[in-house]
Amino acid sequence: MVIALLFAISASVVPISQSLAAGERLGATCTTEGVFTGTKSTSLVCTKVGNRLAWQRVKLSSGGGVPVKNLTPPPGEIEFWHYRPEPGDQRAFVKIIADFEAKYPGTKIKQVFTDTTTFNNTARVRILQNPKAALIATSRGAIFNQYVTADMFADLSNQRYVKQNLIAKGLRAGQVDGKQVGIPYQYLFNNPIVNTELWKKEGWKEPKNLSGWVAWCKDAKAKGYTPLAWPGATLGQAAQISNSALMNSAGSYDELAKNLADLNTGKIDLTSTWFKGVADIYVKLRDAGCFPENATGVNEAAAYNLFATGKSPILPIGSFAMTSIVTLNPAMSGKMQLMSMILTDGKVVAEGIMNNTFILSVNKNSTSRDQKIANAFLSYLVTGPVAQIYANESIQHVNVLDVEYTNVNLLNTSSFQAKDTMLAPRFLLLNSSVSDLTQQALIAIVGGKSPDDVLPDFSKQIKQKLS
Amino acid sequence: MSARTGSAPTISGSGLAPRRKRKRDAGIYYAMGLPAALIFAIFYFGPFILNLRYSLVKWDGITDSEFVGLGNFIKLVSDDDLFYKVLGNNLRFTFLVVIFQTLLSLVFAIFLVKNTKTNIALRTLYFFPTILSSVSVGIIWLFLYDPNFGAINLFFNKVGLESFALNWVGSEGSALNAIAFTQVWFHTGQMMVIYIAGLQQIPQELYEAAEVDGASKWQQFRFVTWPMAIPTTIVVMAYTTIQSFRAFDLIFTMTQGGPNNASSIFAVLIYQTVFSELRIGYAAAQSIFFVLVLVFVTVLQRRFLNTRYEK
Repeated sequence: MVIALLFAISASVVPISQSLAAGERLGATCTTEGVFTGTKSTSLVCTKVGNRLAWQRVKLSSGGGVPVKNLTPPPGEIEFWHYRPEPGDQRAFVKIIADFEAKYPGTKIKQVFTDTTTFNNTARVRILQNPKAALIATSRGAIFNQYVTADMFADLSNQRYVKQNLIAKGLRAGQVDGKQVGIPYQYLFNNPIVNTELWKKEGWKEPKNLSGWVAWCKDAKAKGYTPLAWPGATLGQAAQISNSALMNSAGSYDELAKNLADLNTGKIDLTSTWFKGVADIYVKLRDAGCFPENATGVNEAAAYNLFATGKSPILPIGSFAMTSIVTLNPAMSGKMQLMSMILTDGKVVAEGIMNNTFILSVNKNSTSRDQKIANAFLSYLVTGPVAQIYANESIQHVNVLDVEYTNVNLLNTSSFQAKDTMLAPRFLLLNSSVSDLTQQALIAIVGGKSPDDVLPDFSKQIKQKLS
Repeated sequence: MSARTGSAPTISGSGLAPRRKRKRDAGIYYAMGLPAALIFAIFYFGPFILNLRYSLVKWDGITDSEFVGLGNFIKLVSDDDLFYKVLGNNLRFTFLVVIFQTLLSLVFAIFLVKNTKTNIALRTLYFFPTILSSVSVGIIWLFLYDPNFGAINLFFNKVGLESFALNWVGSEGSALNAIAFTQVWFHTGQMMVIYIAGLQQIPQELYEAAEVDGASKWQQFRFVTWPMAIPTTIVVMAYTTIQSFRAFDLIFTMTQGGPNNASSIFAVLIYQTVFSELRIGYAAAQSIFFVLVLVFVTVLQRRFLNTRYEK
């Protein structure tokens, strides 16, 4: 049971006599099942003991043994290419690199980073011409797949740190044909963030199914709120909610994966019964007034604004948006939690979404010496104390064992660890044309069009792109 | 004329020495043109040939390419609805921008042609948007166009014109027009400066003569200003046409071509075909059509205006 609580890794909850996390008492009452303070063996998790909830100590046991120390790099300089220019990430990386270079004089790590769009569009070609780019970060899905197709990543399967320092379930996103060619560093939750203060004030309870969400939207709208601060004008973020819509749209994850694979190759199109069901979820939410007025014109910044100013009780994007919200309104710190968005009245396959991204890989075209430096730095990044710096500065959960979260927003949202989560299904659409057109079709439906018009139109566009 | 004064090598000479000299001079002339020719060959002609080659293959930029002959072109014209949609968008966008930008810049120029302090201050003000980056302009206008918080809709709602408060860039019907308006706002000041320079070259005597003949302000504009401003108009329209075909950055910042490609133009389509879809060969074929359309529109414009000019 506890295995499912903590990232679904193999873990066990065992009360042992070690020092407790600050402010917590072993065995004392807690209120939210699944809240935990980190992934250290000394961390606490709120779990059921008999009929009551109580703090228990967690002892993590990864499949490969206890976490290991980092590898020692040879002297030299490499470039670390990534797409995280955000202040929190930069603070973390600058410190981590400085510590690493101080520990290993003669070894230098140079960051090369751009925003995500520029990185996705230009980095691969530039890296192909630049073997000094020995450590590369890619995002899960089409981009990671492009690098794999270009055969740019070294096999890391036999590295001890891969087996022993990381959460096993979180490694899947970096595996290709049984080989571990990338280490997903972040462990994100692409689920709605809720403003806990508003929910408490209005006395709302978490909707348990699609009918519940429809009813809640109507109530929230009647009370003057914009129920979901959904950014229909920013495709990438508008698409996050589609994970929740897809999550329980098929009988199992495998069935869903097959449907998406078939859509990706043109075997089925958007007029299939399965996808019509997905579109129908959007229609129901739209008709219930869940989305903002003029939803297709609301961009990411406006959606954040709606949520950060209390005009909207839910931001249906993901845990990674918390940093922006706190920047907009520091008073929101500590008032955010994640919520399940179960958009079916039928069988529940999963309660929420997680995604392992910021996949770190070693460039196989780099010299052997540079690959060794990259591998050593990567092994350093996935040691608990170092990943902890990254997690707490960037406000991102990480895929690394032995991490103690100190950031209040990470702790508050950690209750989501208790859920049975699914690896974000929308990234299974590896063809970006298919993925974008699918999302555009759903956005058009929110904009007021009928699925009967939209789905055949976009299916035709997809067919033309694939032919 | 002697060779010393730089005569052209076509002038015939009688002796052997002058012929050698002419040959040598011709060599010098060709050598002088060589840097420009090299730059053209490397940066224009070479990529053009390369692009032609790419247009004949199916290639994702990663795996080996496959020769498809004219397949990309045939698919483009026979089985690509998006291509025709974008073509229509591009022509509409160019038409709107060229007409309004030319008209507005001409009107501003007429009012601000005299070098008074107020006019110079106003010219500076109108020119100001031009010095901003396209991305900044796009973001500023995104805020203005926001359907729920934007100043434009807040204004319309405040004055009781709710029906004018649209979902500007979020609706398929208005997105392209909204961006065209932004483009006009962005570059009208620049074209105004060109017009002012042109209008200031019109001899004052013509206006004096027109006044003596009792011409009204409108007649002065119609029979003096406009005919004399046509050469400037040709430059302004040609430049605006090219500029509007290249409005990639503004559109990409504001809508990325959406919703449902309603605001996509060729530059955006080609970018997405290359970088998002990784269809290099197909994008090459698109770019060839892009150039052909641009040439066609520019030739049409020049013909139309030149005919007027000659009249």
